[in-house]
Amino acid sequence: MRKFTIILLILTLAIGFAYAKKNQITCSGSTTVLPIAQAGAEAYMDAHPDVNISVRGGGSGVGIAALQNGTVQIANSSRPIKSKEVSACKAKGINPTPYAVANDGIAIVVHKSNHVKDLSVAQIKDIYTGKISNWKELGGASLPIVIVSRDVASGTFEVFNEKALNGAKVVASAQLLASNNAVVSAVESTPGAIGYAGLGYITPEVNIVSVERVTPSTSTVKDGSYKLSRKLYMYTNGKATGDVGSFIGWLQSAAGQKIVEEQGFISIR
Amino acid sequence: MKHRMVFSLLCGILIALPGMAFAADTTLGMELWSRWTMSSGISAADSSSSVIKNNSLALERGYLDLKTKFSEQTSARFTVDMFSTDAHKDGAGLKLKYAFMDFGDIIPIPDAKLSVGLQKVYFGTIYDWDYTLIGKAPSDEYKLANSADYGISVNGYLPSGFGEYALGVYNGEGYKNFGSNLKDNTNMEFLANLRLTPITGLTLGGSFMTNSVEREKALATDLPVSGYQTQILIDALARVAYGPAVFTVEYLSKDVEYPNVNDGSKDYTASGISIIPVLNLRHYIEHDVQLVGRYDRWDETDNASNKHLLQAITGGINYNLMHNDSYSPALQLQLNATHKSYDADESAASYDHKLKDSLTVMAQLKWRFSSKL
Repeated sequence: MRKFTIILLILTLAIGFAYAKKNQITCSGSTTVLPIAQAGAEAYMDAHPDVNISVRGGGSGVGIAALQNGTVQIANSSRPIKSKEVSACKAKGINPTPYAVANDGIAIVVHKSNHVKDLSVAQIKDIYTGKISNWKELGGASLPIVIVSRDVASGTFEVFNEKALNGAKVVASAQLLASNNAVVSAVESTPGAIGYAGLGYITPEVNIVSVERVTPSTSTVKDGSYKLSRKLYMYTNGKATGDVGSFIGWLQSAAGQKIVEEQGFISIR
Repeated sequence: MKHRMVFSLLCGILIALPGMAFAADTTLGMELWSRWTMSSGISAADSSSSVIKNNSLALERGYLDLKTKFSEQTSARFTVDMFSTDAHKDGAGLKLKYAFMDFGDIIPIPDAKLSVGLQKVYFGTIYDWDYTLIGKAPSDEYKLANSADYGISVNGYLPSGFGEYALGVYNGEGYKNFGSNLKDNTNMEFLANLRLTPITGLTLGGSFMTNSVEREKALATDLPVSGYQTQILIDALARVAYGPAVFTVEYLSKDVEYPNVNDGSKDYTASGISIIPVLNLRHYIEHDVQLVGRYDRWDETDNASNKHLLQAITGGINYNLMHNDSYSPALQLQLNATHKSYDADESAASYDHKLKDSLTVMAQLKWRFSSKL
């Protein structure tokens, strides 16, 4: 009888803990996806007061590692998951499943006073690898190029590195900054600067440069004609179900995608 | 000569560190293990009461770690291992643990890299042993492989998270040995490792390594060296991760031949198995606590010079007090108790009468941190 009572007590506690956590959603990861996740969470919680969503940044790699450690239900990522990360997740019993929540273009930005309007992918690579060091080589003023980049741990850097630099090393003199906002601010205040950031972070205080004569826009990102376009993801362990599934489903719905567009990103619909 | 080598090493470090610090992306990290150990056993044959044989505090390990990414495809790692409990009496020792570079763009295979230098030995579980238990990885514990060695390896990941692989050539003497400690051995160690994750949560793997100890013929006399041995080392691994539980089974085999001992009397095969269950309680009790266990059976009864059959049982608990951004433990308190017993009938006389049986309790405070430079 005593054993039965103890087992019953343990089961009651376990079920209690399970229910206590039922309405808590935790997500972390990409700083690019962060504003979408934050604004989406706020709007979703307004409509679903019984759900509490906590959102943290840290970078795509951090979010995926947290999913792998089983400590968040959603990993935000501005890049596709890597084989190494999938392997580590699967070995720990985690099945990372992607949900695209937005489209994004990585916009190339220069100072407001810079008259260079277009760059080819090859020119961007030459700038970031140090082969081109003055704007006059690109038809601009005689001004040294100040290279601003994201730190190499960022998902935005990884996509930029793959799509624009083809894996080449960024010149050692580049300023490596930890957020999209910091990149835009640095370019805004530095006449010779060039930088890149997700479309949602671009302000009117900087000039967007077209790439291969294509300007990042809703249509060019969606149809893929803008070469530095990408999808933004939320990863879950297996198929998203319950509150997590409802939240991601809502974010992918017309209502959720309106929030995505309000944050300056491009709808997946 | 020795002074010149130390001087060269220091110069190398002094040149490398600033270079790494100003590379594209450099992370400085540190990990320290402060350990209390108390072990007991009997002091004389047939004694009925056990005595405390060891009761000590030590900085068991300290790792100073520099990782740098020169580019998306090229990175390097430099790790110094600090310790206070090994044989030296200088208060602390210092060894190079890792000093290697990874090149991701040389091998024309996706997600593969070439690693060159003092690096991980991709054998069994030794290369990703995360010390969830305080004790060493089975292949380290039973002296099949070293955790690091000078070598060249190709290692990478299979598509879709299907697994990982490694092929390597190493000195075969580990990171503790260099120069004259290499015992004139000119034979390299060859390694192949494969791990597959056919379904989420199930990992199956195996490692194969050939190695040798000492030199076949003495350098000075060209006469056969009786201590020369060739080894074939095998590891098989099965791991199931389901919910809060992780269950690992590792099988090890060591086949040793002494080619210069004609009657084969010294040849032997040793084998063993480790079973390691881990249960994470953090989803149930709001604290990041793990219950850990381990059962080892190591059979070296075929080895005439060190005949023994060991059984070891470990139980323990980990309390992860603080975490980094990705929720890996940053401050961890561990408590382990291990009972080792040697089979009286199957072991040599030196193991008989429970002379080497022991109960060891270890408590360890482990902390790690890292920061971008």
